[in-house]
Amino acid sequence: MKEVDPVVFVIDDDRMIREGLQSLIRSVGLRVETFASAQGFLAAKRPDAPACLVLDVRMPGLSGLDLQVKLGEAGAQIPIIFITGHGDIPMSVRAMKEGAHEFLTKPVRGQDLLDAIQKAIASDRELRKGRLELTEVRTRFDSLTPREKEVLDLVVAGLLNKQIADRLGMSELTVKTHRAHVMEKTQAESLAHLVRMSEKLKNSPRK
Amino acid sequence: MASHGLAIMLVSLALLVSLALQHSWGNPFWFFFSVAVILSTWFGRAGAGWLAVVGSTLAVMYYFTPPIHSLAVNPGDLPFFLTFVACEVGVTHLISWRRKSEDALRHARDELEIRVAERTSALKNANDAMVLQMAEQKRTEETLQATRTELARVARITTIGELTASIAHEVNQPLAAVVANADACVAWLSREQPDLVEARAAAERATQGATRASEVIARIRSLISKATPEKSRVQINQVVEQTAALAAGQASKNNVAIEFQLSPDVPNVLGDSIQLQQVVLNLIVNGIEAMNSVADRPRKLVIRTQPQSGGQIRVSVQDSGVGVTADVMGRLFEPFFTTRAKGMGMGLPISRSIIEAHGGKLWAESNGSGGAIFSFTLPSRDEPAA
Repeated sequence: MKEVDPVVFVIDDDRMIREGLQSLIRSVGLRVETFASAQGFLAAKRPDAPACLVLDVRMPGLSGLDLQVKLGEAGAQIPIIFITGHGDIPMSVRAMKEGAHEFLTKPVRGQDLLDAIQKAIASDRELRKGRLELTEVRTRFDSLTPREKEVLDLVVAGLLNKQIADRLGMSELTVKTHRAHVMEKTQAESLAHLVRMSEKLKNSPRK
Repeated sequence: MASHGLAIMLVSLALLVSLALQHSWGNPFWFFFSVAVILSTWFGRAGAGWLAVVGSTLAVMYYFTPPIHSLAVNPGDLPFFLTFVACEVGVTHLISWRRKSEDALRHARDELEIRVAERTSALKNANDAMVLQMAEQKRTEETLQATRTELARVARITTIGELTASIAHEVNQPLAAVVANADACVAWLSREQPDLVEARAAAERATQGATRASEVIARIRSLISKATPEKSRVQINQVVEQTAALAAGQASKNNVAIEFQLSPDVPNVLGDSIQLQQVVLNLIVNGIEAMNSVADRPRKLVIRTQPQSGGQIRVSVQDSGVGVTADVMGRLFEPFFTTRAKGMGMGLPISRSIIEAHGGKLWAESNGSGGAIFSFTLPSRDEPAA
């Protein structure tokens, strides 16, 4: 699979901090986009690439924590690294509970931030890969005919061909043909693989 | 009944004594009956008295008036006998009357005593209740005082804490910029191919951040050192003009026109011109910022000076901005209250304390046609300037 360049989004209302962080992150060869406010970030079109968010907690208008909640509601899974000037415990607990990737206090040591960014991007990459695979599997399963889907459900439930034939009122030979189609269409390498894929689809309902 | 027994006993005793004495000396000793009647009446009350009278009369009739041993009385002895009876009756009547009034008196006295005792105990109860109530009230007052002291302590600590947090944030912000830019500078220099252009830009930003931090500290220091005003004679129109010149750049950047309506008749005031400048500047900047979002009418700031009655002068700054809502109006002068994202919320409270230290007043009101008017008065210490 061709890998797109990762992007780091920096949101801070203080221009000097914004420029410093941007320069720091660029110096290690990462792409950076900066925003002066959470609203600006929400309004911007985000590239389809592995990414992470470096977010100031205290900002006028929409605060960092508010933005985190908004992104969560919109189903946008992007790792967030919080930066705060006064990291009180309730605030960090709240951020972590909402799934913050990291919580750093101002002034942030450059290396700490870069390490956190690398980890966040790696984790986003994994997430994206998982999501991509899932979409692929789903497309394959969607191509099954209604009859094949019925056979699939019973195969996955552990029934033998004979039992399936009885249950669906068809010959065992027909069941075998359907079954072969299912294996082929879903690109399952074995019965176990087929079961794993159908479990995964069941556990992540489509959005 | 005991009193009737007493009467019978006394009459019988008198009869026995009289009979015994008459037997020895021959003369009748009737007066013992009088004694019996007196004693009966005195100790046994009226009923016993009258019983004694009847008993005595019968005894005298039977034993001592001829014919003896008969209840009849010879006509010759009748006056004497009747006198005896009359005396008995009179004595009984008098004594029983006397006795009755004495009883009534005693009864009245007893009743009075009971009533006094009742009143005394009622009074005592009331007194006890009052003592209890006073103790309760004292306790409540002590609790209240303790609560008040605690509240004042908490308020003081909170104020210091908030001020510290506010200053810490103001200083920490540029420091964070310094660290980020210095780190970036090092990172650009550490690359295999050092990027001097990027490194220099980052280093310059670091310097800017450090300068900003030291400016914040200088600002705080000047606030503290200016706590005691140095008073001299001040021409307020001059203060206003100089201060407005300081804010002219910001005004033109924000498309705000400043209009002066300075009265030439305002007298001099005694005050610290730097502090008064600080107040005027604060009001002007507030006014300019209040008009940031105004697009449908001209952004105009009117600064007025006027002489007031009682030798006072008045300075007001009127904007055509968004105005002040009632609940914001109530909190305007509270420390740390701000409607601006970057504000410290200290400008107006400090301005007010400066004006009050000068013996004047600073207040805000809504401008009828939108916007707000901030005014302060100062007492003049001089004749109108020539």
